[in-house]
Amino acid sequence: MNTIHLLDIALIFMVLSIIPCIHRIIKGPTIPDRVIAVDALATVIVVMLGVYSFVQESVFFMDVALVISIIAFVGTVTIAKYLDEGVVF
Amino acid sequence: MNNITFIQDILSNFFFIAGMFFVFLGMLGLYRLPDVYNRLHATTKIGTLGAFGVMMGIVVKLGFGPMGIKAITVGLFLLLTAPVAAHMISRAAHRHGVGLCEESTLDDYGKTYCPMNSSCAVKHEETIEDEHDQM
Repeated sequence: MNTIHLLDIALIFMVLSIIPCIHRIIKGPTIPDRVIAVDALATVIVVMLGVYSFVQESVFFMDVALVISIIAFVGTVTIAKYLDEGVVF
Repeated sequence: MNNITFIQDILSNFFFIAGMFFVFLGMLGLYRLPDVYNRLHATTKIGTLGAFGVMMGIVVKLGFGPMGIKAITVGLFLLLTAPVAAHMISRAAHRHGVGLCEESTLDDYGKTYCPMNSSCAVKHEETIEDEHDQM
């Protein structure tokens, strides 16, 4: 019973911690600020999906978390190469 | 048997709270710090310590079942790729010309890799000396 309360608190906390990411995406003065905020947002969503998968006792949310982490990594590297060299490939 | 379950609960709750604490620190840094590089330094902690802590909490609580294996896969993937992505985006930001904040005192990367490049926004010592020599 105690762990259920801790996991609910963790989910509420993850949802609340999306707010600084949205603030930094909207307000951030440069492009790398926004990229960093999107990366942090993806990581927070991955953590939230892990906790939610444990709460729901279903394996499939963990697959979604793995796919989102892979897409976030590839997207960050792509935007970094685009900012650095001007071309993606 | 009951004692082992109690220790598992204690350990997994500890990992959960540690991961949530690092997520909180990363969000606080993302909101408050003044610079791209400082914010990146704070945000990478979410990817490594926060996500890995939460996933290790799930692994300790469930054992090596299907969900435990997938959780440790996600945790190890984030632990390996978050510093790589942070390094690439910080190097791209520095070469793109994003400056440091006013309180920072040293720019080693600019001193090493672009001493004559005028697109670097930060004026460090060698660039200033080179400009004086050219004058």
